[in-house]
Amino acid sequence: MSLIKQLWLAIIALLLLSFVGSLAISIASSRDYIEQEVRIKNEDNATALALSMSQLDKDIVILELLVAAQFDTGYYRSIILRDTANNVLIGRSASEYSGDVPAWFRSLIQFNVPTGTATVQDGWRQFGTLELESQHSFAYASLWRSMLELAGWFLLAGAISLAIATVLVRGIKHPLVRVVAQAKDISARRFTTIKEPRTLELREVAQAMNILSANVHHMLSQESQKLDELRRDLQHDRVTGALNRDVFMGRLASLLGSDDVRATGLMLMVRVQTLEQLNEQLGHQATDNLLRALVQQLSQLDGSSEEALIGRLNGSDFLLLLPLQESANKLASLVRHALEQVFEQALKIVAVDTPREMVRMPAAIVAYTPHDERGTLLATLDDALAEAESDSAHNRIVVREGQQGSLFNNHVEWRTALNKAISQGPQLAYFPVIDAHNNVLHYECPARLKLANEWQTAGVFIPWVSRFNLEPALDIAVVKKSFAQLAIDPEHKMGINLSIASITNAQFVTELRALLEKQPQHAKQLCFEVPAVLNAHAIGSLRGLCTALRPLGCQFGIEHVGAEFTKLADLHDVGLTYLKVDSSLIRGIHTSNEQQTIVRGMATLCHSLGIQVIAEGVVEQAELDSLFRAGLDGATGPGVRV
Amino acid sequence: MALMPDSPRPILSPLSRRQFLATVGALILGAGASVFPTPATAFNPQRLRQSMQQQYGTSGLAVLEAWFELLERLRRQGIQTQLRDVNDFFNRRIRWVEDIHNWGHEDFWATPLETMGQGQGDCEDYSIAKYVSLKQLDVPGERLRMIYVRARIGRSQITQAHMVLGYYSTPSAEPLVLDNIAPSISPASQRTDLDPVFSFNSEGLWAGGSSESRADPLARLSRWRSVVERMQSQGFI
Repeated sequence: MSLIKQLWLAIIALLLLSFVGSLAISIASSRDYIEQEVRIKNEDNATALALSMSQLDKDIVILELLVAAQFDTGYYRSIILRDTANNVLIGRSASEYSGDVPAWFRSLIQFNVPTGTATVQDGWRQFGTLELESQHSFAYASLWRSMLELAGWFLLAGAISLAIATVLVRGIKHPLVRVVAQAKDISARRFTTIKEPRTLELREVAQAMNILSANVHHMLSQESQKLDELRRDLQHDRVTGALNRDVFMGRLASLLGSDDVRATGLMLMVRVQTLEQLNEQLGHQATDNLLRALVQQLSQLDGSSEEALIGRLNGSDFLLLLPLQESANKLASLVRHALEQVFEQALKIVAVDTPREMVRMPAAIVAYTPHDERGTLLATLDDALAEAESDSAHNRIVVREGQQGSLFNNHVEWRTALNKAISQGPQLAYFPVIDAHNNVLHYECPARLKLANEWQTAGVFIPWVSRFNLEPALDIAVVKKSFAQLAIDPEHKMGINLSIASITNAQFVTELRALLEKQPQHAKQLCFEVPAVLNAHAIGSLRGLCTALRPLGCQFGIEHVGAEFTKLADLHDVGLTYLKVDSSLIRGIHTSNEQQTIVRGMATLCHSLGIQVIAEGVVEQAELDSLFRAGLDGATGPGVRV
Repeated sequence: MALMPDSPRPILSPLSRRQFLATVGALILGAGASVFPTPATAFNPQRLRQSMQQQYGTSGLAVLEAWFELLERLRRQGIQTQLRDVNDFFNRRIRWVEDIHNWGHEDFWATPLETMGQGQGDCEDYSIAKYVSLKQLDVPGERLRMIYVRARIGRSQITQAHMVLGYYSTPSAEPLVLDNIAPSISPASQRTDLDPVFSFNSEGLWAGGSSESRADPLARLSRWRSVVERMQSQGFI
């Protein structure tokens, strides 16, 4: 039996006990009192009447009158005068008063009052015995009434006590429920913390568990920090912190090859033209500072990502990816400003008389779209950069439009087309995610929208969707479509992408929940994935969403986890099912011990939280083998087939 | 509340808790027992000796022993002898005084023990002592009645409230009067100096068991009941 039930039983038992007990005591004492009073009245009245009779002539008429007068004006059940031989001389008796008192109550009370007796004297001789009984059945009625009254009061008091007890029990129950929920969370390896209850025992339990969660959080932050440092050493240029050429190229290729949102945007290349000259004149130290300043300024151009995708291709060439950006001219002016800043900084570092011409940083901008060839893009950039270099102006920026234009000409057309496409409904692609034994964990189902009479991938329309704040609408449409698919094929688990904009939108969350609650059998087949670019607010929203939807059996995962892995410590209490590791950490893993170390570390950490680790963008079988050896739970990508 | 330091807390072991409960239970039982002591319900010479010793010392005890002897001697005698000897015993041993001199206030009804201990008493004290003695000799209660009478003193017209004990051989018979003014027993018709007013006895008070009237707080309100109660506690009945 639950503690709360036991508490209630105890409270009710106590209330009943005190109620019945005090009722019984009060009735018993009233009964005793009444009995005593009636007995005294019987005796006193009998003595008084006998005394009067003793003084009178023993004329039977006089005696009868005396008895009658006493009987008729008083409250008596019977007055009987017997002679010494016990024969009745005079007798008066009345019927019992019976009000609306139930018979069981009478038999329960059952007054036991002895008759009052006294002897009547006739001179020295005894004349007879007077027996007198008072009318006491009215006492049943008064006792019955007082019992009803008491019962009424007790009901009232009982109701009030129960109300108070409810408050008290709730005061115990709520923290208890919280503690139990936390214990369950921890057993499911969600290391949540709760507000400490006021009850001493519960508070100690909650404190212990909170400390445990805090320790786990601390341990995770440290470990993931270490892994991140390892990754940085491996992937980043020591001097500037930009990505190494290989890593950058790998990322670029996987980005272009994916259906990802970020597969549309602009690409900026900056060349520090006079690097060797600078090295000679300013020394390594100053030059390194200049390059660091350049990378820092360029990174700031990308406001959308957590970590700007910037690579150092060789000593003097820096390449920046700006996903989701479209306006090349706007970017050009920003770049110009940034380069001015770098120059200013450079002037501070080097001697004041450094001629402006010494630091020449030509730049080139080109737009990229999904499925562009990497080589072509780089060639275009090189060409543009050569044009910029040849110019005499010291910071020339050349802009090249992409080979293919936008689907629509202006915003109005885009908005109309997107609204139409979303209301028409998206199409879902199926990409399997498999485990080491080639079983399908779930299918990744990125959305396709029919725009300009063709099914377009996310990279084409997502920048526009997010520009018009249509993400929630699109995500709801995708969930609806997935229900339709599940109705046809209920066996497949489907991975659905949710955008950050959606999960931080309260209305979307409500709508999604309502939708899922209507179809609980389908809800448990869904895995919701959010991109790893989570800020603190988004993590809070994600936590709320998980808590709300977990009872429905939905699973949650995070995709494209790479550089952002340090946030894992903040996700320890969210209750994620899986984590998808970005392809930049996966590509070529079979050839890199460092990469294997990092991925293995990630897997170990995640497993300690009960989170599965899945590799993204797997191309080769060798990668696949290496991944599963490193302890990953699943893999997906072009190289993965069922 | 503040955070609890890691100091060891006193632990109530189950044993000590049980001991505690046992102590509380014993205390409650003890208190109950002292509030409701077992009542004495029968004639108890040992207790009478104790009471007498405590209240009146050895002189009182001598009278009590004489009374016990009397009862022992009369137990197998006829009713006439019993009446006469009991009447004589008290008429000789007890000096008549007014209550106000004996007890300091009017109309105090003494138990036989108190009467014997004091060696003096009022008319109702004689009557009560004789009544109790005769009851002790198994004379049926309904034959004995205490009678309020109006007594004329000597040949004068001065009258006084008085009490005698009457013995009724049958309910309707003329009673024999055991008095302390006239030392010998005589039939009521010969006592022209006495006018009967009212009579009573302990029937109904003692009937059915004396413990009930003992627990009755109202007993102290009536003189008769009060003396009956004191007799019970002293060990007469």
